[in-house]
Amino acid sequence: MFRRRKREQDLDRELRDHLEFEAQERGDRRPLGNMALIKEDVREAWGWMWLDRLAQDLRYAFRTLRKSPAFAATAVLSLALGIGASAAIFSLIDALLLRWLPVYNPRELVQLTIAGVPGAVPPLMESFSYPLVQALETHREIFAGLCGFTGGRFPTGPRESIEDANGAWVTGEFYETLGLQPAAGRLLTPRDDKPGAVPAAVIGYGYWERKYGRDPRIVGQSIQIFGKPVSVVGVTPAGFTGANVGQVADITLPLAILPQLQPDDPYMIDASSWWIRVVARPRPGISRDQVKARLQTIWPQLAESAIPASMPGALRRVRGTWIEPRPGGSGWTDLRRQFRQPLYVLMALTGLVLLIACANVANLLLARATARRKEIALRFAIGASRVRIVRQMLTESLLLSLSGAALGVALAWLCSRFLLELLSSGQSRAIALDVAPNWHVLGVAMVVGIGSAVVFGLVSSGAQPARKRRSAAPLLVVAQVALSLLLLIGAGLFVRTLQNLRGLDPGFQREDVFLASVDGSKLGYRDARLAGFYGDALRRIETLHGVEAASFSAITPLSGGGISNHVTIGGKPIDREQTELIPVSARYFETMRTPVLLGREFTARDDARAPKVAIVNQAFATRYLPEGHPLGQRLGVGSQGLEYEIVGVVRNSIYESLRETPPPTVYVPLIQRIGRTGAVYEVRAAGSLVQVASALRTILQPMLPGLPLEIHTFDAQVERMLVEERLMATLAASFGVLGLALAAIGLYGLLAYTVARRTSEIGIRMALGADRRRVILMVMKRAGVLTLAGVAIGAPCALALTRLARSLLFGLGPRDPTTFGAAAVALLAAAALASFLPARRASKVDPMTSLRCE
Amino acid sequence: MTEKIELLQGTLDMLILRTLLFGPAHGHQIAKHIQRSTSDALQVEHGSLYPALHRLERKGWLASKWEVRDQRRELKYYRLTPAGRKQLAAEESNWKKLTAAIARVMWPESGEV
Repeated sequence: MFRRRKREQDLDRELRDHLEFEAQERGDRRPLGNMALIKEDVREAWGWMWLDRLAQDLRYAFRTLRKSPAFAATAVLSLALGIGASAAIFSLIDALLLRWLPVYNPRELVQLTIAGVPGAVPPLMESFSYPLVQALETHREIFAGLCGFTGGRFPTGPRESIEDANGAWVTGEFYETLGLQPAAGRLLTPRDDKPGAVPAAVIGYGYWERKYGRDPRIVGQSIQIFGKPVSVVGVTPAGFTGANVGQVADITLPLAILPQLQPDDPYMIDASSWWIRVVARPRPGISRDQVKARLQTIWPQLAESAIPASMPGALRRVRGTWIEPRPGGSGWTDLRRQFRQPLYVLMALTGLVLLIACANVANLLLARATARRKEIALRFAIGASRVRIVRQMLTESLLLSLSGAALGVALAWLCSRFLLELLSSGQSRAIALDVAPNWHVLGVAMVVGIGSAVVFGLVSSGAQPARKRRSAAPLLVVAQVALSLLLLIGAGLFVRTLQNLRGLDPGFQREDVFLASVDGSKLGYRDARLAGFYGDALRRIETLHGVEAASFSAITPLSGGGISNHVTIGGKPIDREQTELIPVSARYFETMRTPVLLGREFTARDDARAPKVAIVNQAFATRYLPEGHPLGQRLGVGSQGLEYEIVGVVRNSIYESLRETPPPTVYVPLIQRIGRTGAVYEVRAAGSLVQVASALRTILQPMLPGLPLEIHTFDAQVERMLVEERLMATLAASFGVLGLALAAIGLYGLLAYTVARRTSEIGIRMALGADRRRVILMVMKRAGVLTLAGVAIGAPCALALTRLARSLLFGLGPRDPTTFGAAAVALLAAAALASFLPARRASKVDPMTSLRCE
Repeated sequence: MTEKIELLQGTLDMLILRTLLFGPAHGHQIAKHIQRSTSDALQVEHGSLYPALHRLERKGWLASKWEVRDQRRELKYYRLTPAGRKQLAAEESNWKKLTAAIARVMWPESGEV
């Protein structure tokens, strides 16, 4: 700093000396010449002083901005909100959809999917059975490595203190295919993935750190998983959390030892269980298309050899299919299927918010540039070069934009954590994603920040004649109104979708009900003993204080799945598809408050020895049973065709999804087909929910030694199903409000500025007899015209765009007139509010003062 | 009065360096010298002189010092550095080649061909 001042003084002296010499020669006393311009050029020659000059520019920019704090705060906040919202959504998109796994050359990896499955709802099937993966693995001529993986949850630790660890099942080549090196010990190899192999596990780096303080001696030790000893052979590298995105693999096990650890479920690794995702690394030089072409010839035979003839359904399903290799380097998660479209829609919405914010800042800068015309003209006059002034303006807008971007990134960080919590509320366990702003997000924010700075800087540096600038401002406001109309309509559609789903009559009452999952089969009970166990638990629950009614069933509504089976009437199959078949206990419908329309509900007398009975829902009765005589009909259920007599008809209720109309459903007593089914208890509380919950825990936990007990409210379960809608409604509404506020600020700014400029004109009008009301009307009319123009442009755009979100809506169309109308009304109201203040100020203009100013 | 000629791009640096071969000088002296040597054909504007001086100083071809010499006051004198001498030699030979080449195009018959 000191050196700089010295340099400046030196230059000043040197030039003055020179000019004096010249003046002497001319015989003149006054030195001539434009000192400022020469100095500017000389400073240019210093070159390395640019940093210094930037500091000077920044200081100056900071000083000018501090002089108009309202302007600076509005601009910075607008940008921060715009950039923050888009960066938050982008963080999530990046973490969920885009980010590569931290493995060797992830771009090479392909995920194998089965395409062309007849009637499959997602057109691609992503899951394979273990024998299929093994069969694919043998094709060394195509793949340098091929592996399967799937998520798991492992009860870990000694019997007294079992914890549910997040984990993954993988095939033997998993780590070799991904090209990973262990942080300690070794990783799993194909030798660990053999039937009867000594159970081996690798643990994740985070788990190693958390649980064992990174003690290398854990390698070689044995831990209890599913109550069996499994030896820890190594630790995966830091940063790698498994191939299941959003689900950290704390413990990873080879699939072949599954029957050793879960002796009840050996079918999980036979040809009937399709639950394994496949990732492969093709041999060098083999492209994705070539992989597809080569598998095309191999696949039909391979599939038929890996599926036994005893599974005609599965064989039928794979016939005519082919393998579609897709990019596989970013891992796999089911969340993608659920959230890809919502996230892209949200990204588009935040883009609109950002545009509105930018328009706001541009408008502010325009007004400011006009106000600063005199200053800039003066600076030109005293010799500042155009480049110099443009640079000064750029510095100023860069300062604004980057402050906005920095604040925005901070905001994004907070928001994306909130978003992640929101997403996690739809899962049975928290989604583990790193959404801290990384280089992608910072990069995007910087590009947006700098890009807008350049545009704004050029706009405001007087690169255009003043007249053009003035006409740009109203256009910007019209654009803002149009964009915020889009946002408001989006918000309205999503909020009403959520309302529609919440207000839907599901056929049961979800309030005040607890759900407790109890799987007695895990304690070794079967058939009659299991039935006794469930009945015993139910009797204990019913005696609890504050319990109004209780029951149990194999499955509860909206738990994320269904049970179906073949059903026949009079020996004839009723449909090609399977029918929903829900095993429930006595008093189930009473507890759920599902009205029994005809006949009776199950009672304690419908036990294993009693005649088999069934209850059907309305949909089943109207579709399959003769009108008026549903009771007494006989149904055949399952492959053995066990006969059940219909004793009742109940109201339709929803099971799998709130968006579906309830399908034809058959209920049977769980006791009459028990096998080794798990059960969920429904407990309707009459008194304090907290007391009932803790009483439930006290009673049930001792009955389940060594098993985790999960109790949650039915409400929470239903809300969990609505996570996508809640996400859309919450965010779209926030963006709508944000956009509306920004547009209102933009309108207010424009009108306030116009009023200030037209003060004298308004004064003259009033002197000539215009009354206050007319002045107010004059200003508000302008606001009205701008807003209506915005609505007129925004509405057709909305009509065209909302179609894209049709599949996310429920109970209303993408062109819902109520929503469109409400959005327009909200906008007009906001515009009226924003224009009233400047209008009132205009009406307070004192004619005398303004005339004197002239 | 002599007709003024536009200074060719890049030649001002060479002229400044050449002028300083006679010994240290301040900015005004440099400008005067160039002007006088060319019988006022070349006028050095201070608007280009000072940026050039500072640029040459930054490149290390000139050094400057505030000194009291024949004037009775302290002035900023520029002096040629060894690097500046080398640069002058290089620019001079370049310039000769360039003018010779141009001459051959412009007046082919008077060449030594």
